[in-house]
Amino acid sequence: MVNLEDLKKEAKRILEEGKIKYIIGYERSPNGMMSMPAFIKNPEDAERLTWDPSCVYNLTRFLVDEKRRKAKEKKPDTRPVAIVVKGCDSRAVVVLLQEKFINREDVYILGVSCEGAGVVDEKKLTEKLKGKKADKIEFSEKDHFLITSDGEKIKIPAQEILAERCLECRANFPVIYDEVLGEKVERRPEDPFKSIERIESLSKEERWAFWKEQLDKCIRCYACRSVCPMCYCDECVVDTISFAVAADTTAEEKAQKIKWIERSPDSSENFVYHLVRAIHLAGRCIDCGECERACPLDIPVRLLNKKLEKEAKELFDYEVGFDPEKPSLASSFKDDDPEDFIR
Amino acid sequence: MQKILRKKSFPQWVKKLESYKIYAPAKNGDVWNYEAVNHSEDIDLDYLNSVLSPKKIIFPQREIFLEFSTSNDGNPEINEVLPEENPSVIFGVRPCDAKALTLTDSVFGGDFDDLYYWRRRDQAILVGLACHNPPSPNCFCLSVNGSPHSKEGLDILMTDLGDRYYVESLTEKGNKLLNLGNKFFEEPKAKDKKDLEKINLASEKKIKRRIKEIKKIPPQLKEMFDSPFWDEEAMSCIRCGICTYLCPTCHCFDISDEVLSSSPIEGKRVRTWDTCQFPDFTMHSSGHNPRPDKASRLRQRILHKFQYFVERYKNYQCTGCGRCISKCPVGIDIIEVLDKVRDYGT
Repeated sequence: MVNLEDLKKEAKRILEEGKIKYIIGYERSPNGMMSMPAFIKNPEDAERLTWDPSCVYNLTRFLVDEKRRKAKEKKPDTRPVAIVVKGCDSRAVVVLLQEKFINREDVYILGVSCEGAGVVDEKKLTEKLKGKKADKIEFSEKDHFLITSDGEKIKIPAQEILAERCLECRANFPVIYDEVLGEKVERRPEDPFKSIERIESLSKEERWAFWKEQLDKCIRCYACRSVCPMCYCDECVVDTISFAVAADTTAEEKAQKIKWIERSPDSSENFVYHLVRAIHLAGRCIDCGECERACPLDIPVRLLNKKLEKEAKELFDYEVGFDPEKPSLASSFKDDDPEDFIR
Repeated sequence: MQKILRKKSFPQWVKKLESYKIYAPAKNGDVWNYEAVNHSEDIDLDYLNSVLSPKKIIFPQREIFLEFSTSNDGNPEINEVLPEENPSVIFGVRPCDAKALTLTDSVFGGDFDDLYYWRRRDQAILVGLACHNPPSPNCFCLSVNGSPHSKEGLDILMTDLGDRYYVESLTEKGNKLLNLGNKFFEEPKAKDKKDLEKINLASEKKIKRRIKEIKKIPPQLKEMFDSPFWDEEAMSCIRCGICTYLCPTCHCFDISDEVLSSSPIEGKRVRTWDTCQFPDFTMHSSGHNPRPDKASRLRQRILHKFQYFVERYKNYQCTGCGRCISKCPVGIDIIEVLDKVRDYGT
């Protein structure tokens, strides 16, 4: 079991040494049970750090912010930042390393074990508690979560309230780290692609109807993109003018900029957005499920990425985010790669 | 006009309103949202709050302003497109969301009336539903001049008294609606009024969250424009549009031309929601953006709601619905931010 005091001690130590710029971790929210991202600069604030099943966030997304901020600084602080990662999040670090978006020396990885369980699905928990408010959630003995609600302790089997992606997880222990806390508990999912079974069984027409209904709900708040550590493009097709306009960009250059997508949230444009995003994540998505968790309209966006993850596995025997030394899927080629789907 | 409506008579009353387009909260998956309703039996008022407020009906995310094309003789042709004449009734409006519309009224009215907004607004009759229990643990209407049974902005306010509704009409439009279902309504008795009072008092007590000493916040914000506070607060912001798109009072928009065909020219000029949280918001054609990072964008959201709007319209641009808190993917809590603002530097 991860000893929280060990995590705080380690955090305090590395900050005191002065070799780390700051730590990206989790802290308890002052309201409710959920944790929230924390950015710790001072050794005495290491006390704030937490690790429990409410730490759903994939913090590697903030490594993207860090890189952007550093690029703008005149005299950048070149020390690495430390980051607390779960197994799935560590796979995101691997992808960022593979793609050379970050360098290994720029990040100090504090891995935490999910203790053979995972993180909670807030909605499932709310349903389970039937109106009672949870104040705290902890890992308990194997496969159980301990919930504190109105001073009362309730033990719930983890399986019943785990986030969907945790039920299909293949890395509940960090795959890359400088320091790791907790034990490695083997837990292989019965079927890592179970969530897409139902949709795969539908006919083409039924699938179209399903996705049309789902994507028609989209209000294009872009939370799914914004929360994703892999959506780090400087210029995203959906932003009308986010492309690099500088003082010396000519009117002609601006005029030639293609508008790929309209702002109107209708079926056509919503499909363009979600399919472009899904394709750009093929062979890159590590299934942290943040896109789906963030969606205010409950669109099952994760399923799109899951399907492409399965394609990568079946067609190229490629699993994302396990080996930083290996080339990424899109930049590797084998003579015997299948090609019969190319028409 | 005050009446009592038995719950079983509610669908029959709605049936009498067939000349109106009816909107009500509907559940899709795990979330509630306002949808057009075809059968009065489909209306389920046993809900908490919708993900998007009724703002989306009065000020839709996409509005066509005009259509343009090249006519056969080669001359440009422009057709104005206006919202249809379609009187509507929106059921189940929460008091915070009704108050929010009075705020967007100030923005789309005043010196210049926004034709599109007002065409929809004037045609809509708002039937409110008082909040028995706070629809969200993050409700804080009491801090921003609201209440769970506020009548502001509504035409009718309904209060659930168990087997019946206490129905109060507040405007001419509301009276008209009640008259259409006249035979279903009863006169309220002394007990009904007592029950109503009891429920209203209890509902206020159930709202746990508050912005303390809110009056100190606008002047304090004025001093904090250049504060490093915003950099710290925005560290966890992921710059998505949830807080603003879900906000019942946010009203920023963008106007663009959607070209369907370039030869012959055919297209539409549309207005769509925009948000201060997006990177291209207020981007100048020179490439300069006065709000270049997420710190300045978070600051804009807070200052607009609790300083600029207060200076201009003498009201907070926030009705305490709590959506931005509940739905923020990284747990940014506007009450927490404002608490820190108030105590900053002391």
